[in-house]
Amino acid sequence: MRRFARYYLLGQLIKRDVLLRYRGAMFGVAWVFINPLLMLCIYAYVFGHIFQARWPQQENGAPFWLVLYSGLIAFNIFSDTVSRAPTAVKNYPNFVKKIIFPVEILPLVPLGAALVHAAFNILILLAALTWTGQINFQVVLYPLMLVPLVLLTLGLSWFLAAWGVFIKDMSQIVPPFVQMLMFLSPVLYPASAVPEALRPLYRYNPLGAVIEACRSSSLGQSINWTSWSGALVLSIIVAGLGLYFFKHSREEFADAL
Amino acid sequence: MPSDVAISVRDLTKTYRLFSHPGDRIKQFFSLGIKQYHRQFTALKDVSFEITKGEAVGIIGRNGAGKSTLLQLICGILKPTAGCVLVRGRISALLELGSGFNAEFTGRENVYFQGAIMGFSRSEMDKRFDQIADFADIGSFIEQPVRMYSSGMFLRLAFAVAIHVDPEVLVVDEALSVGDAKFQAKCFQRMGDIRNAGGSILLVTHSAEQVAHFCSRALLLDEGELRADGKTTDTLALYVNRLGSTTGDVGGADVSSVAADGMTLNPNYNKHETRWGDGAATIEDACLVQGGHENPAALAPGLITELRLRVCFHADIEQPVYGLSIKDTQGAMLFTTNTQHLLGMHGVAARRAGDIAHICFEFTPFLDAGDYLVSLGVANETPSGIVPNDRRYDLLKFRIAHPLLQSGNIAMNPSFRILDFARSAPVLRNDNRA
Repeated sequence: MRRFARYYLLGQLIKRDVLLRYRGAMFGVAWVFINPLLMLCIYAYVFGHIFQARWPQQENGAPFWLVLYSGLIAFNIFSDTVSRAPTAVKNYPNFVKKIIFPVEILPLVPLGAALVHAAFNILILLAALTWTGQINFQVVLYPLMLVPLVLLTLGLSWFLAAWGVFIKDMSQIVPPFVQMLMFLSPVLYPASAVPEALRPLYRYNPLGAVIEACRSSSLGQSINWTSWSGALVLSIIVAGLGLYFFKHSREEFADAL
Repeated sequence: MPSDVAISVRDLTKTYRLFSHPGDRIKQFFSLGIKQYHRQFTALKDVSFEITKGEAVGIIGRNGAGKSTLLQLICGILKPTAGCVLVRGRISALLELGSGFNAEFTGRENVYFQGAIMGFSRSEMDKRFDQIADFADIGSFIEQPVRMYSSGMFLRLAFAVAIHVDPEVLVVDEALSVGDAKFQAKCFQRMGDIRNAGGSILLVTHSAEQVAHFCSRALLLDEGELRADGKTTDTLALYVNRLGSTTGDVGGADVSSVAADGMTLNPNYNKHETRWGDGAATIEDACLVQGGHENPAALAPGLITELRLRVCFHADIEQPVYGLSIKDTQGAMLFTTNTQHLLGMHGVAARRAGDIAHICFEFTPFLDAGDYLVSLGVANETPSGIVPNDRRYDLLKFRIAHPLLQSGNIAMNPSFRILDFARSAPVLRNDNRA
């Protein structure tokens, strides 16, 4: 299939995925905005108001919920995609067994849908930054900051999608792990708050590094380019391995489904 | 491969690994081949053939013979264990009804999505959409979610898309069986167009009739092996022999070899007949009789006509069934019947090997002027189904010379009574009072 046709097909699949989620709902596509705002309110209430959480070095006086939200957007891309990855191929046995179809694009669909949602989230973030007077030009780097995370997520998706075909339990195992990662990754706290010994683990894993970089870019602080580049290299490797593994095991999909 | 070859299959073998437990697949993966956690099942063994452009080939075989596996390999959905498949040109496959359709989306959205899967952009599908909607002919349902569709509508839309994406190779697996006769005829006509334009068609079906009518060549698969590859009639004869093997030894002559029978001398004989069957009984002679004349040059409509046939039995047949059908030259079936319809299950006596039966069908052709084709058949009703012994499609042709008195194709046996208004007037008055 021509490359262009493949992109068009992927675009159609993502469009279907996003539309299907809201089709028939009373508020329709408005949920794209309502959902993240609701989550943001809850985090702000629980951590900001009840726990009285403060960043160890309060970031230029930005309110807690804004700091939290700028990192949460990045984490949500990861968690939305990875939780759905094990079923990305498994749920479409027809595409694997009954029609001629480029199966390797299927794991890209949850990622694409997550990125569409992230785009709306970023719009909310921009509005919030403007509203609180925290807006600065560095925020244009935000999408660039996401690149390693997208590649990492992509690689993991290919892995998990392939495994999900063979091991039906994957769709049960992955979501709780993602939830654990929510607390282990520096979303609710900065990486600098973790014990000294664990800090490299946070700085150089793509998830942690990207969340930190995203926060820095949106709040106008200096970005740690070394850890970001390290994360980029690591995620390129993960993505490559993921694709290789997926293509390698693809031949057996039709037998296993 | 030569430029006129559309599909080339070389020594194709497909072996499935069967795991009794899903966890065994993981164990197998980690054991790195040291220990075997699975059984092997070979669905196809060393199959080789070539299909040229503009050829329509039927694939027949029992359930589990490997037909669908073969199609999936040709489509590139499965990867061969050994051997190779080469396909030249755009391939369009209809392996299962509406796979790739999403039930929540409308027919229109699904058509565009199918197009995207086939590599067509939105504007390219815009050009085709009206043709597709026309062919599917499901009216305003095209704007409804496909979960509302009946299976017939599903097929109509799926088939319409599959043939409007300019396929150079069209693969159809059993799908047509849910369509009504009229739609099937339309599909076959369209597939004929594709074939005439140089496209290749692979048709898998249990319906020997469809293969006999549409395909010039047929492949017989049995237990994963290619048992026959040749003219449709030969392959079908072999297929029936294999299927009918439960009825014991078929001592009869192979029908295709009994060409030099009395039929060829009959002036109404159609030398383009299609003949197949297991040969346990053969139709040796058939003639039309009307008004005491044998094989008249033309028949008169509306007169009692006899169709006499002579059947020779080469094996014992417990429940013979004799049948006939009449088609017009466009292939539309006008009439079909058999002794089971007319006389019930046990209406015809059993026959022993060596018997010769003379049978006479009586019918009245209320038909318009034109040419018609008669197909005849003798079959054996067994507990496992009908085993065709000898089927001779389009064996005889006849002509109705004069049109019916009324206009139209079929006589409805009409009559007129002029109801005298004056005399029925009291009845009307009664009605008014009531």
